[in-house]
Amino acid sequence: MFPEALSGTPWLPHEDWAGWDEPFKTKFEDYVVGQDDKERGVTAVAALLGRAKHMARLDPGWLAATKLHAATLPLAEFAAVVGNLRATRFARDGAWRTMSTLGALDELRHTQVPLEVLHPLLKVDRQFDWAHRFYHTNNWVAIAARHAFDELLMCADPIELAIGTNFVFETGFTNLQFIGLASLAEGADDRLFEAMVTSIQTDEARHAQIGRPVLEIVARHDPERAQYLVDKWFWRSWQLFAVVTGLAMDYLTPFARRGPSFREFVQEWVAEQFLGALERLGLKRPWYWEIFEKSVANYHHMIYASAYSYRASVWFDFVLPGPRERAWLRRKYPESFPAFEPVWDRITETWAQTDPGIDFAAHGKAIPTFCSLCQLVLSHGTPEHNEARVTMHNGEPRVFCNEPCQWIFEREPERYGAHKDIVARVLAGEAPANLIEFLRTYSALAYDEWGKDAYAGVYPWLVRTPEANR
Amino acid sequence: MSLVPLYGFVEGDTMGVLVLAARDMRIETVIANLCQSAAPRVSIDGHQWDLLVGGHVLDPDNTVDGARLAPLQRIDLRRRRAGAP
Repeated sequence: MFPEALSGTPWLPHEDWAGWDEPFKTKFEDYVVGQDDKERGVTAVAALLGRAKHMARLDPGWLAATKLHAATLPLAEFAAVVGNLRATRFARDGAWRTMSTLGALDELRHTQVPLEVLHPLLKVDRQFDWAHRFYHTNNWVAIAARHAFDELLMCADPIELAIGTNFVFETGFTNLQFIGLASLAEGADDRLFEAMVTSIQTDEARHAQIGRPVLEIVARHDPERAQYLVDKWFWRSWQLFAVVTGLAMDYLTPFARRGPSFREFVQEWVAEQFLGALERLGLKRPWYWEIFEKSVANYHHMIYASAYSYRASVWFDFVLPGPRERAWLRRKYPESFPAFEPVWDRITETWAQTDPGIDFAAHGKAIPTFCSLCQLVLSHGTPEHNEARVTMHNGEPRVFCNEPCQWIFEREPERYGAHKDIVARVLAGEAPANLIEFLRTYSALAYDEWGKDAYAGVYPWLVRTPEANR
Repeated sequence: MSLVPLYGFVEGDTMGVLVLAARDMRIETVIANLCQSAAPRVSIDGHQWDLLVGGHVLDPDNTVDGARLAPLQRIDLRRRRAGAP
């Protein structure tokens, strides 16, 4: 009935799962009534605001943040339906299976609500088509997101799913996006986004509770595996949220509407609350905690500057941080942001010598490089020292953006070894090396969809040189 | 003529870039190509640059083959420090 290959490791006798318990005791009837109320709430806000008119009022940077959310999360939620349905059948306790059934229904709703709200906006802005299209492309961000979510949600057994998704991803990180970013949405006057993600968060808070009792039982019987799954999925979740939430909070939220920095949100939701939950279960903080803390101060800054200079490779626009944004970042990241100032000076200087709207004058043309594990750009470390490392596996060189990614790969090489990163695809002739061809044919980006400077390089503080205006 | 793909990292940059170097290409040319790749993000002018592998500075007059650069090896471009030869 419950083979280990499908139910997960450790395979414990049934009596060891007895007593599995979580605090929400929901009946199906109550669940349906509650969900119906939530649906009506989001629908009412959408109808009241009028989606296209509402969108036209939003700041271009914030709009870019919603496009980043719209593409990366809804269909990942659909993958979570599959994972939850596997647990509905193969989880080892009846209450766990029931909660997973409701979890699957939750995740289906979390797919449908944002698609219903955001995808129709493609009528006025084609970049919103990426709400549906993103996961069906070979866009580099999609390759990285699929690499993580296919493993976590489509392939993981119910134990790994519960620890990786419900405990680590949902109690550790989704608060950043669904509460932290929602609070910034309110400040950015995006009541629709706020209503949507707040509605979703109420479900997340319930089904995230599946994780703790599973981890508690696994930690009691196989603490080494419990610690491994926490360490692995904490790092993989961190990388994704640094990209999705870090960029939105510290660079795309309009300056006047910013509140706490991304790091301050991480400090509250991750470092304090999540570590407290780990300690209560007798588990240790991940072994790479010092690396994590350093990356909280650097990684999303590295990614944003890199992605800004390759903005045509994604489906949303970017904002060039100006003097007041940079002063804010210096204040929030006094020990790390000064190292990024020369990068923004350089990009600003290039725009100053370029006519407005000529994005490719201030754009990278070389082939970027990607991590063999997370598939994200090699952007860990600082501008002074990139943390990437090349190691040999079965006679083949592999590159990792940092030590934790290398550690995860080396723990399960049979799981990750066959996956080709983009550089390997280019070198094998499977992807074009020419950037424009790469964007148009391999990444499925048309010119009117690919990312540009949100203000076409025109900022009140940016003074163009006479040569640029001739 | 086969090309040697290398992972290049430039001091002051925020990402790594791929460098495709011919085997008979001089290290000086690899340096110039790497500078050009990082130029959108890094001010290249006004500095002299050294190419390092494993912490050792490569002779700019040597070739890729002569320096025994292997495919997908990490190379680092660093600003020459004051007082360095």
